Amino acid sequence: MNVRALTDGAPEGTAVAVPSSPVPPASTPTQRRKGKPRGKPRVSLLGLAMLAPSLLLLCIFFFAPAIFTGVFAFTNMSTSTGIGKGDWMVTPVLLRELWDQGLTEAEEQAISAATYVVDAEHIARAEAGGVDARFLSDIEARLSGETYEDARAFQRDLRALPSKPRSARALKGAADHFASSVLNRRYATEAAFAEALTGVAPDLSPETLSHVTERAYTGAVFTVENFVTLATRRDTLRIVGNTFLYVGLTLCFNVGVGLFLALSTFYLPKRTGSLFSALWLLPRITPVVLYATLWQWFTWENGFLYVIADTLGLPAYNYMKAGVTSAWAIMILSNGFVGASFGMILFSGALRAIPIQQLWASEVDGASRWQQIRRIILPQLRWPVLFVTAYQTLSLLSSYELIWLTTDGGPGTTTTVWALDAFKTALWAYSGEFKYGLGAAMALILVVVGLTLSIAYLILFKFDDLVGRPKIEF
Amino acid sequence: MTILSHTKRLTLAAALLGSTVAAGFAEDYTITVWSGGTGDSSNYRIDNIKLAAEQLMREAEIRGEELNITIEGQAWSGWDEFKQAVTLAAESGDAPDIIVSGHEDLGPWSQAGILRPVEDWVYLDQWPLNDIYPNLIDVATYNGVVWGIPQDAEARVMYWNKEAFAAIGWSDADIDALPQRVIDGDYTLYNMLDDVYAMQEVEAVAPGQGFMPRVSNGPDYWQFYQSFGGEMTDAETGKLLLDTQALTGFYQFFTDAVAKGVLPESYLGGNWDDWHRAVSGLTAGAWHGGSWHYAQWTRTFEMENFFDNVQFTLIPAGNEDGRANSITHPLVYLMGAGNTEGEAQVAADLISIASEPRLNAMHAVKSGHLAISAAEVSVPLYAEDRWLTEASEGFLPYVNAIPNDADFGTYWTAMYKGLENAWTGTMSVEDAVETVKADVTSALGDKIIVK
Repeated sequence: MNVRALTDGAPEGTAVAVPSSPVPPASTPTQRRKGKPRGKPRVSLLGLAMLAPSLLLLCIFFFAPAIFTGVFAFTNMSTSTGIGKGDWMVTPVLLRELWDQGLTEAEEQAISAATYVVDAEHIARAEAGGVDARFLSDIEARLSGETYEDARAFQRDLRALPSKPRSARALKGAADHFASSVLNRRYATEAAFAEALTGVAPDLSPETLSHVTERAYTGAVFTVENFVTLATRRDTLRIVGNTFLYVGLTLCFNVGVGLFLALSTFYLPKRTGSLFSALWLLPRITPVVLYATLWQWFTWENGFLYVIADTLGLPAYNYMKAGVTSAWAIMILSNGFVGASFGMILFSGALRAIPIQQLWASEVDGASRWQQIRRIILPQLRWPVLFVTAYQTLSLLSSYELIWLTTDGGPGTTTTVWALDAFKTALWAYSGEFKYGLGAAMALILVVVGLTLSIAYLILFKFDDLVGRPKIEF
Repeated sequence: MTILSHTKRLTLAAALLGSTVAAGFAEDYTITVWSGGTGDSSNYRIDNIKLAAEQLMREAEIRGEELNITIEGQAWSGWDEFKQAVTLAAESGDAPDIIVSGHEDLGPWSQAGILRPVEDWVYLDQWPLNDIYPNLIDVATYNGVVWGIPQDAEARVMYWNKEAFAAIGWSDADIDALPQRVIDGDYTLYNMLDDVYAMQEVEAVAPGQGFMPRVSNGPDYWQFYQSFGGEMTDAETGKLLLDTQALTGFYQFFTDAVAKGVLPESYLGGNWDDWHRAVSGLTAGAWHGGSWHYAQWTRTFEMENFFDNVQFTLIPAGNEDGRANSITHPLVYLMGAGNTEGEAQVAADLISIASEPRLNAMHAVKSGHLAISAAEVSVPLYAEDRWLTEASEGFLPYVNAIPNDADFGTYWTAMYKGLENAWTGTMSVEDAVETVKADVTSALGDKIIVK
């Protein structure tokens, strides 16, 4: 929907002229020459209300994901950091890393110290924390004055008390009120963590305190490291090469076969042509999982091709998984057939728009089929061909699902393309280590490449001419 | 009459009041259990939790409490989709109450805050948990905290086609002596390549199927790194360790196997069912897999006379730097965070009961996994199983586990990618090793030692 059309405020309620509109109002050309009426545009509330649902959907399903991708791309977000805000926590592993970075033994011991002290202050803290009164009075009576360096030893003594709670959680929760330790405890805010850390290690210098606090954050932090990694990674170039090869070859197949199908069905009797067109639509209308399964039946061991090849004494193996050339062929053909039917529909529509009289006239002049195609049809299919090329380039660049379901980027990583690698980096890893940040950076690069190509196509194809007003006024 | 009616009314009121009070004390819990890498034969990972719920409800009834537990189990046969599901569900605040996953997830998941430490909810020194092997409890520990309860154990080993060995002139005594020769380092991976090549030459096995390793990523491939002397962590600092020499030996071995024609270049990513059919149909010379595969071959793929046809050993050493080895990859019962304290306590109680010997023995025997506790080995169902007994005795003393480290996943992904690159010939072995080195150094900095 054109926003300008809704806010321009065409005078006296006349419709805004649409190029294809067969009978535009007589006054339109004059007003157009005068240009738009100046002044405050009249905003139609009804128009905005009608736009609202699409705007909302656009925001939820397009702008928000794009913005999130952009933001995530500049973070080190992964399974370990989690999505969203993290906590502050000192762990033995972190202490070891800090030790490597110059933390002194005294500082390390102070931070990692865990003591359990049974005194009036801690008993009061436990009481305030809701620990059972009878249990507390037992603790006070039998353990007052004790200090423990080990949680398990303290818990063992607590379990010996007559009024101990039945659940382990209640007992260990009670023990926590007597602890002075930051080790393995999560703090939701930086201030709470710093306070606790200062409590157990009051002698830390401000620099050390700040360094430990910074490193103790478990969540994601902003960084440009993802882009450095992508620029310096050794297999980046190969995956980019794979992607170009895949998009280029599949595109040639899509457009070439789409054009061939459209032309051949055009010259067939109408009913036969429609039947063939419908058959060629099958790859497009079949659900992608089913379509991938059909390719598996077709190319796997003991599948259709395998059996034929085996019978003829030709090399028979799992063509999808066990051969680089055959995997590439399958990747291009399976994606190509889906795209070819798309081209076929568009080209067929465009063919029907060519005035049939031109073909009759050419036949009168003795033109052959090939001459008709070359001199009459193809020049008039320029726009559809360019549109299909542009659309399919962008679509192929970002598509990975069919490759994932068929060759899965293999054998090895020989058929891995950028979009598939981005998906696997962010959301699909056997080891469970999902790198959301790096995956988002890869997706962001894809978005930027897509936008650049779109603009290039718009300029190259003179999009303004395509959507411009017709040169002939009816 | 009036008195009786009055008494009746009072009794009725008391009964109604009583039932209301009882209803007020009734506790209803729905506990969700998500289990990864779980196929048809490992249903007891979830079913044992269901049996435990039944037990817990009966115990509550005896104590005079009313406890109703509903278990909602969900099993994933693969790992990638399972880990994606758990992580994303947990991040959106909807983590399952009980998660059955590999122990290597403790690192990243505990750091991300999506787990509750199981040691806070159970007494580890109480039966049945105090009977679980201490080395398995260590595997479920990260940062000094016990995060999970071991659910099973296993060994990943090399299997050998006895008939094919006989075809190249090995006597029964030679075949029987193989396990000890492998342990002693007297029979190496390169000896294997020569022998399976000979098996192909005499057509005792199918061409290109002399050696059939696992078709996809798995902890198994770290075994070959160990075979060439690699260690995953540095014993002194506890940091991750990349031994480039061992990695080179490991990658070189697979490229040599391809060059020899006993393993196809484009083998990785193959179909699991095809693999099972080939190895259980004895068309391969040597293959490696898990101890649990025995259950799949004998139950699903109708393999008969396993012990007459198949020899099994540790993964042989690759050279004099390495050792014969086997990796165990115990799954653990973990507790998801984000639920109520009541749900967490029920989940912890269920995990404890499900770890009891008789229940766990059902899982072990049906799925071909090894026992988690000493008492379980004595459960008749387990003790009568020849495979489990032999595998426990033959392999458990030699097994080690992959490390629990929040960054191990990054190292693992790089290792497997490097293997794919070398194996498929996309890169030379040297380049593949350099790529792994560059990837892990750039991603992990000084968290990994490269030597």
